[in-house]
Amino acid sequence: MAAAATCGTGAGSTASMASEASKSNVTSFQRRGPRASGTDSGGTRLVSIAGTRPSVRNGQLLVSTGLPALDQLLGGGLAVGTVLLIEEDKYNIYSPLLFKYFLAEGIISGHTLLIASAKEDPADILQELPAPLLDDNCKKELDKDVYNHKTPESNVKMKIAWRYQLSPKMEQIGPVSPSRFGHYYDASKRIPQELIEASKWHGFFLPEKISSPLKVEPCSLTHGYLKLLQFIQNIIYEEGFDGSNPQKKQKNILRIGIQNLGSPLWGDDVCCTETCDNSHSLTKFLYLLRGLLRTSLSACIITMPTHLIQNKAIIARVTNLSDTVVGLESFIGSERETNPLYKDYHGLIHIRQIPRLNNLICDESDVKDLAFKLKRKLFTIERLHLPPDLSDTVSRSSKQDLAESAKRLGPGCGMMAGGKKHLDF
Amino acid sequence: MNAPPLSPGGGGQWALTPSGGARGETGHKSEMLDSLLGLGGLMLLRDSVEWEGRSLLKALIKKCALSGGQVHILGCEVSEEEFREGFDSDINNRLVYRDFFRDPLNWSKTGEALPGGPLGALTAMCKRTDPGPVTIAVDSLSWLLLHLPCTTLCQTLHALSRQDSCPGDSFPVGQVRVLGLLHEELHSPGPVGALSSLAQTEVTLGGTMGQASAHILCRRPRQRPTHQTQWFCILPDFSLDLQEGPPVESQAHPDPHTPPVDPMTHLTFNLHLSKKEREARDNLTLPFQFSSEKQQALLRPGLGQATSHIFYEPDAYDDLDQEDPDDDLDI
Repeated sequence: MAAAATCGTGAGSTASMASEASKSNVTSFQRRGPRASGTDSGGTRLVSIAGTRPSVRNGQLLVSTGLPALDQLLGGGLAVGTVLLIEEDKYNIYSPLLFKYFLAEGIISGHTLLIASAKEDPADILQELPAPLLDDNCKKELDKDVYNHKTPESNVKMKIAWRYQLSPKMEQIGPVSPSRFGHYYDASKRIPQELIEASKWHGFFLPEKISSPLKVEPCSLTHGYLKLLQFIQNIIYEEGFDGSNPQKKQKNILRIGIQNLGSPLWGDDVCCTETCDNSHSLTKFLYLLRGLLRTSLSACIITMPTHLIQNKAIIARVTNLSDTVVGLESFIGSERETNPLYKDYHGLIHIRQIPRLNNLICDESDVKDLAFKLKRKLFTIERLHLPPDLSDTVSRSSKQDLAESAKRLGPGCGMMAGGKKHLDF
Repeated sequence: MNAPPLSPGGGGQWALTPSGGARGETGHKSEMLDSLLGLGGLMLLRDSVEWEGRSLLKALIKKCALSGGQVHILGCEVSEEEFREGFDSDINNRLVYRDFFRDPLNWSKTGEALPGGPLGALTAMCKRTDPGPVTIAVDSLSWLLLHLPCTTLCQTLHALSRQDSCPGDSFPVGQVRVLGLLHEELHSPGPVGALSSLAQTEVTLGGTMGQASAHILCRRPRQRPTHQTQWFCILPDFSLDLQEGPPVESQAHPDPHTPPVDPMTHLTFNLHLSKKEREARDNLTLPFQFSSEKQQALLRPGLGQATSHIFYEPDAYDDLDQEDPDDDLDI
C-alpha cells in the first residue's frame, strides 16, 4: 500500500532526526519551526507530500476533499489510493460542486490533476473552479454568513443574559481546524487564472478521444472505459506516481476526477436498460481503477448518476467496489421542498460507506442525520435538527422523517436521539 | 388535430378567437414560446396518447421558421404531406425536410436518400459550418430509440447541442436547438430518464377536462431548475393561445361555528407595552450590567457619599476574639 511506504520512510527520517538532535542538544525535544504552507500540523516532522497528512488513527496518508466538513465526516480526509464515489442528486446541481472543490483543493496543494468527462471539456471545468478563501477572510466570511442567516430577533443584543452572546453561534460538526490541510472556497468566484496555469493537469474528454460513435463491441469493457483506463495508466506510469520511474523531484499526489460515470454519454447503457448487454462494464472498470489506484499515490473522485441506474443490484455492486460513498439528495422538485422541517437546507447528505483500510473498524461518525446547504459562498454540512415532538397535532410526515433518521442509528439509541445534538457538560 | 376550445373557464382576456387581432395574439403566446426556445440545446416534448405533442412541435417549428433561422426536420413517424399540412407556403419553403418515413431502409435506392439513415443525417448536421441559428426538429425520438441504441442517440444529441459552445471552425457557429418529440408510454423509465438528464428544457404535456397544459422544466446550467405549468391551446394555423387553467374548486371553507379564538383577549394582566413603558424599560439599567457609570462609582467611592456603617451590639454569648471561632464550644 502506498500508505505503508510513506510511513516507512517517515519512520526512517524521524530516527535520523532524533540522532541528529542528540548530537546537538541535550534533549531530543525540538521546537516546531514555522511550517510551510500545505504541510501537515500533525506534530511530526516527516518530510511529507504537500497537502497530505497522516491519519490520527492509523497513520494512513490522507488528502483533503476540499470541504473541511466532509473531511471531518470521513474521519479526517480521503485516504490516498481510494475512490470517493458521489451519488449525484437528481438535477445534478450540487455534485459538480463537490467535484470542483476536490479539484480546487488539488490545485491549491500543488497536486497533479487528471480530469475525465464525457459531457464537458476539462479545460472548461478547470475555468469554473472556485476561488480559495484566504485565511484571514475565511473566518470573516463564516461569521458574516452566520449573521445573515439568523433571524432578526436573535440579532438584538442580549441585555440580561449577555454572557451567552459570547458562545459560538454556528452549529458545526467539529471544531474548525486551523491547519492548512483543508481550505475554504468561495463558490461565487472563479479561481485566478495564474493558479490554473501554474498547476499541472491532464484532461480526458471522451468525444475527442473517440472520433465517431462506434458500435458496442461484445468485449467486456465499453470502449470509452477502456480508453480512460489506458489514459490513467499511462499518466501514472509516465509521471512516476507508482514509483516506477525514479522521481527526482518530490513525490506528489495525482488527483483523478471522473464526471458522470455510467451515464449514456460514456457509451454505457447501465442507465438506459435494466438488463444491458455489457452489464459488467461499469463494475469491471471500477475494479480495475481501484487496482491502479492502490498501487500509486493517487486519489479519485467519481460522480455517478445512480438515480438513473435501473438495475438496483448494480448500485449495490458499485457501492461495494468503491471505498467511500457519499450520496446527495436535493429537495428540489420533491415534496420535501415545502416541508417546514427542511426549510433551511437544500438537501440531505448520506454517508453510505466508509472504508476499513488496514483496520477492523471504520471511522464512522456517530451523526447520521446530515443536511447540506449552499449558502451564498460556502457549502456547509450541518446536523439536521428535527424539532421536538411536543404537541398532539404534529403531522404524520414529521413522524415519518424521525423514523427514517432513526433507521440509520446504531442499536441502543432511542427514537428521538437521532436529531438532537449531544449534551456536553 | 385537436379542436381548440374557444371559451376558457377563467379570465376572459386571455382567450382570443382566431379572427381576433393578430397583435393581441402575438403578445401573449410569444412569452411561452420565447421562454421555451430561449435556452437552446435539447428540448424534450413528452407526450402521451391523450395529449399529443405534434401540434406543439409544429407550433414551435413555425415560430422558429418565422424568426429567421434554418429549420431541419427529421420526419420518421408521419408522412411528409401530413407533416406539412397546416403550414403556410412560405413556412413550408423554409423547412428542410428529410423523410425517413416512406423508405427508412432505402430499399428503393433513389439518389436522394441520405446515407446512414437518420443517424447519419444527425451526425452530418453536427459537422455543419454555416453560421446562424439552426433548429433541428426530430419527429420522433421514440422512433429513433426503437431503431438505435440509446447510448448512441444520447451521444449524438449531446454532440449536436455542444456545437454552439465550442466553435472549432472559423465561422461563428450560431445557436443549435434540437426539438425532440418523445412518446413517454412507449419506453421504460430508463431511456426517458437518460434523455431528460441531457435535456435543457423538458415539456410534459397533460391536461384536464379538455384543456391542455404544459409542465415546463427549465434547467439552466449551474442554476436551480424552474418548474412552470402553462395552460394553452393550439389554433388551426399552429399559433399558440395561452389560457387560464380550469376553475379551481373552492377550498373547504373554515367552519363558521368555531371562529378562531384570540388567546390575547380576556387576560387579567397586560401583555402589551405602551410606547412610554417601552422607553422606560429600555432605559433601565440592569443590576449586573457593567456600564461606565458603575465602573466610575466603584473606582471612586465618592467624597460626599455616605459609606455604609454597621452598628453592632455584642450579645452575652458572642465571642469577640476573632482568632478562634470555636473557642466557645464546650467540649
